[in-house]
Amino acid sequence: MSKILGSPRSLAILIICLGVVAASVLGGALGSAFGLGFFASSLPAIQLPAEKVTDGFDTPVGKWDVMNTMITTWLAMLVLILISLRIRSKLNDVPGRLQSLFEVAMEFFLSLCEQIAGKEKARKFFPLVFTIFIFIIVANWMGILPGFGTVGRIAGPEEIAHHHDAHGYHDPALEDSSHGSKESKPKAHGAHGDDHGSHLDSVKLHVFQDYEGIPIAALSPGSLQEELTFAEYEEKHGDIGAGKRAGHLVPFLRSANTDLNMSLAIALVAMIMVHFWGFSILGFLGHAGKFISFKSGPIGFFVGILELISEFGRVISFTFRLFGNIFAGEVLLMAMAFLLPFIGILPFLGLELFVGLIQAFVFSMLTLVFAAMASVSHDDGDHH
Amino acid sequence: MEGDIMNVGAGLAIGLGAIGPGIGIGMLASKAMEALGRNPEAGAQIQQNMILAIAFTEAIAIYALVVAIIIKFV
Repeated sequence: MSKILGSPRSLAILIICLGVVAASVLGGALGSAFGLGFFASSLPAIQLPAEKVTDGFDTPVGKWDVMNTMITTWLAMLVLILISLRIRSKLNDVPGRLQSLFEVAMEFFLSLCEQIAGKEKARKFFPLVFTIFIFIIVANWMGILPGFGTVGRIAGPEEIAHHHDAHGYHDPALEDSSHGSKESKPKAHGAHGDDHGSHLDSVKLHVFQDYEGIPIAALSPGSLQEELTFAEYEEKHGDIGAGKRAGHLVPFLRSANTDLNMSLAIALVAMIMVHFWGFSILGFLGHAGKFISFKSGPIGFFVGILELISEFGRVISFTFRLFGNIFAGEVLLMAMAFLLPFIGILPFLGLELFVGLIQAFVFSMLTLVFAAMASVSHDDGDHH
Repeated sequence: MEGDIMNVGAGLAIGLGAIGPGIGIGMLASKAMEALGRNPEAGAQIQQNMILAIAFTEAIAIYALVVAIIIKFV
C-alpha cells in the first residue's frame, strides 16, 4: 500500500479520483441541500408517452407527427442496415472482426433454436428470433449513449398545459407581447384556476437559458437550477428575467423501447408470426383445435378457452416487460445523474448495458419457446 | 389532497408489488446455487436458465412499477 502511495503518478491519480468524488457529492443534489450543488440540474420532467419533436405530415388516416422514439427507431434501423451492408460487401471465407462477431452470435442462436425447436423448424424460426434480438439490443444500447434524453427543444407552458388537459391555457408572456391587452388575462387565469388547477398544480416549469432564440436546450450539469410552479409563473406574468425561458425539455432522441407502441408492435409481430407458424405447420384445424376443442368434454373446452386468453396475456406481458425495464432504466439514470453527477451514474450505466442485453435475449428466447410450443400439437406432446 | 393520496398509492403499488418477486428471485437463486453445488459441471446451463427465470419473475415487479409510474405521471 505504501509503495503504491509512494509513486507520484498513482498518488496524483488517487487525488484526482477523490476530487471527482468530492465534486460529485458536493455538486449534486446532496450538496445543494447545504447550499452547494454547483453541478445540480433539476430533475427533468418524466413523460410516459413519447414526445413530439416536429409536426409531421398529413396522411389520409390522420396526422402523423414525428416523435423522438420514432427517430431513435429509424437510427437503429439505419445502424443495422449499414452493418449488414458492410458485412455483405466484405463477406469472406476468412472472417474479419465484424463478420466473426456476427457469426458467433448467429451460431449461438441457431444452435439454441435447434435445441429448443428441432433441426427443421429452427431454420424457420431463426430469422425472426435473431432479428428481434439484434433490433432490441441495438435500440436498447443506443438509448444510453450520451445525448439521448438530454438535448432537445424547449416546450413552452402552453404546450405543457395542453398535455395536462388544460386546453384553454394561455401563456401570459406571449399574450402580453402579442395583444397588449390586460383585460383578457384575469379571465384566462380564472378559467385555468377553476377548471384545471389540480392538473397543473403539481407540474413544475424549468428555467432555461435562451441562447438568442436558438430552439435547442441541453441538460448539462448546472444548466438548470430554478423551478417554477404554474402559479408563480402567472404571478410574474411570464416575465422571468432576460435571456431566460420557462418550459420543459423535449429531447430529440429517446430510447426506442420507452415508447409502449414500439414494444407492443414487436410483441404483436412476434405473436402473429408464432400463430402463423402454428397454422402452417399443424394445419388450420390442428392449431385452432388447441383453443376450441369439443373432443375432451366440457373441461377440455374451458381449458382451450383459458389457453386462448393466455395468448393475449402473453402479448401484454411481452409488451410491459420490455417497456417497463427500459423505461425504469431511463428514469433510474436520470435520477442518479441528478443525485450524484458523474460518478453515481457509472454503475447504473453498466447495469443498463446488462439489462438491455438480457431483455433482448429474453424477448427473442420467449418468441422461440412460444413458436416451438405452438408448432407442436397437443396429441404429440403426450408421447414425449 | 388528491395528489398526496396518489403519491401514497404509487408508493404502495411498487412497494407491495416488489414483495412477491423479491421472495421469488430469492428462492430461485437459492435453488440455483444448490443445483450448482451438487453439479458444478452444469454451471453454464444453470446460470442461463436462472437468468431467464429471473427475468420472468422480475417482470411482475416491473408490472407493479409500470402501475406506479402511471399513477404518478399520467
